[in-house]
Amino acid sequence: MSSSVTFDTRTPVDFAIIGSGSAGGILAKELSTAGFDVVVFEQGPYRKAADFRHDELAVMMREELMGGGNGRNRQTFRHFEHQTATTPGDIPAWYAQTVGGASVHFSANFWRFREVDFKERSLLGPISGTNFADWPIAYEELEPYYTRVDWEIGVSGAPGPFDSPRSKPFPMPPMPVKSSGVLMDRAAEKLGLHTQAEPLAILTKPFNGRAPCINCGYCMFFGCEVGAKSSTLAAMIPLAEASGHCEIRAESAVFRIETDAKGRASEVLYFDPAGNEQAQRAKAVIVCGNGAETPRLLLMSASEQHRDGLANSSGYVGRNLMFNAHAVVNSVFDEPLNDYKGVQVTRIIHDFYESDEKRGFYGGGGIDARPLWSATPIFHTLQGMPPDVPTWGAAFKDALAHNFTRQMSWVGSTTSLALDRNNITLDPATTDAWGRPALRVTYHDHDDDMAMANYLQDRCAELSDAAGAAKSWRRPVTPLSDSAHLLGTCRMGDDPASSVVDRDHRSHDVPNLFICDGSSFVTSGRGQPTMTIMALAFRAADRIKAAAAADDI
Amino acid sequence: MRSLYVAYLYRAVNMKNNNDLTRRRFLLSVSAVSGTMLVRLSAPSLLAITQAACTARDVGAAFGILTDGEAADIAAIAARIIPTTDTPGATEAGVIHFFDNAFAAQMANNLEEARKGLEALNAAISGDRTFADISADEQDERLRAIESSAFFKLMWQMTIYGFFAMSEYGGNKDHVGWELIGFKGHQGGWQYPFGHYDAQIHGGSDDVE
Repeated sequence: MSSSVTFDTRTPVDFAIIGSGSAGGILAKELSTAGFDVVVFEQGPYRKAADFRHDELAVMMREELMGGGNGRNRQTFRHFEHQTATTPGDIPAWYAQTVGGASVHFSANFWRFREVDFKERSLLGPISGTNFADWPIAYEELEPYYTRVDWEIGVSGAPGPFDSPRSKPFPMPPMPVKSSGVLMDRAAEKLGLHTQAEPLAILTKPFNGRAPCINCGYCMFFGCEVGAKSSTLAAMIPLAEASGHCEIRAESAVFRIETDAKGRASEVLYFDPAGNEQAQRAKAVIVCGNGAETPRLLLMSASEQHRDGLANSSGYVGRNLMFNAHAVVNSVFDEPLNDYKGVQVTRIIHDFYESDEKRGFYGGGGIDARPLWSATPIFHTLQGMPPDVPTWGAAFKDALAHNFTRQMSWVGSTTSLALDRNNITLDPATTDAWGRPALRVTYHDHDDDMAMANYLQDRCAELSDAAGAAKSWRRPVTPLSDSAHLLGTCRMGDDPASSVVDRDHRSHDVPNLFICDGSSFVTSGRGQPTMTIMALAFRAADRIKAAAAADDI
Repeated sequence: MRSLYVAYLYRAVNMKNNNDLTRRRFLLSVSAVSGTMLVRLSAPSLLAITQAACTARDVGAAFGILTDGEAADIAAIAARIIPTTDTPGATEAGVIHFFDNAFAAQMANNLEEARKGLEALNAAISGDRTFADISADEQDERLRAIESSAFFKLMWQMTIYGFFAMSEYGGNKDHVGWELIGFKGHQGGWQYPFGHYDAQIHGGSDDVE
């Protein structure tokens, strides 16, 4: 499948955008509808809504949307630098290789950051051994762009008791509460906590010619077959293509950004669908690969002029990777919830969002109620069974038959601290299917991140008891070895010595190279980053358009 | 259905991930299956294999990859993992046809491991009998003895897959796997209320059987 317009590779286009996901899709729409010629590179195929199926084996077990796991998208992992990274059975850095990127397969939980997220270092002071810092921008500067995300891609929800101010209401009401949410409401009331409706990038009403959710239940890991999930595939890329100024170049895997004698980005080198090397000339390059692929590409683009990688004079490219830690309590109730129907989450609790020195460690987080593993049968059986039940035989079968419709999870998600030791580098020994050096993920949570996860797990257990669960069990909290949240690896900042991009997402080192995605984050937030990635993208587009108008690119 | 099927096969061919055994934080921490050799089958040959296997399931004919003996032993193992009780089990779900299909395609590189495991299992059984011939109690005893082996984990995981994956893969015949647990994922969209507790808020029937 190809776009309606194609650009010549030898004539520089206005912008080459690398990545078509949460940030790339928005930048493509914003710049192309403003009249700029844009080529968007996506290493995955151009799947559309009609291509998405309810095939748990292919999508969840074989990671069809994620490039087929370790076959095509080979990565390596280690906890610490002194270890040799190995290729695990499951990829450590999850993202979708498909047009629309991870916005296609995410669960669409869609929290704004709050004012505190941008200035926590000033409020709390330094944390030794970490790169804990303030953002160079404040919530107030991003708020208009959060509102644009709400109204341009389509977000459902209702204001919560702890939300930061919003300039405009949600464009549509929240999803009706599911049984898991009803149980959370009841438990929270007993415990004196405050639930709120989950904001979701999923339509509850027809919006911009798109249909609302049909409650099929295949949100987490799956693409939405009716286009109700507000991915950039559904909401932005059609507008970009309709502009006549945007070419989506799918199955095109970028392996290098070339710079010219003046040190400016000049060309994007990539493998076309046949595996042949191609080069697209561009006046400016915007990298939106995600917090893992973006630093990998910059490191792969090392040259005589940029020996440690492109835009890496600070040494911060790839550093400060943040995953968001998690804690889970599973519960079985007496009556069926049938929580496999509908979206994952309809209720959340943000009472523990802010860091509290009385806890004795830094951190904050949120708790949600959802089916999690009990949304689909195979995942439920592999991941969701109670530890005291036999794993095969008649008792196993009885537990499966009883629990599947009666089970839910309480999920806490937390802050992650920015650390030098957690990073993306190029694996020296392993390559991916295209022959590029594999992503090497080095990650071990800070003790405070684990402490916060344990703290939230205690709260989840209290909620489960207060909700009247017939049975519940904790999933052990252990250091992460994989995540879908890839944050912080090209951080934004005013000081070129300790950041990669400035507050307008322009790299400090290369004037016509911009970077915008989860890698821009300075802090991790509390576990739902996509809304902020999209808001940053709308803001970056405005800053880039302003720079272009001033002839300053 | 045909076009969906072809689309699936197309993807299956393009799916270069053959490390099918492992899933994130798999409860039994299945050891990684070695090898990165790609399954090299052309779309037409894969189509033929899978169609033949599905037809075989319907008419009870021979298997595509497995010998009748291998199929009998694997089917017996699957029947102990998800036994037939007062409800259908792995046997009624036709899980063995999932095995046969998968060994012909996506999990072809696991076939040798399965064969070696079967050989070892049967070597310990006296006389001409194989695993399928011994009593259910003895089958359970022998499986308990190898519970932590990679072979058992392979059989276990493929049984789960075959019981719950879409019927197009060969198992989950007539959706008996989904019926057992009350999952109606093949029915598409849903109206509220979904379950017992939200019915108390939204009113109406909670659609609970």
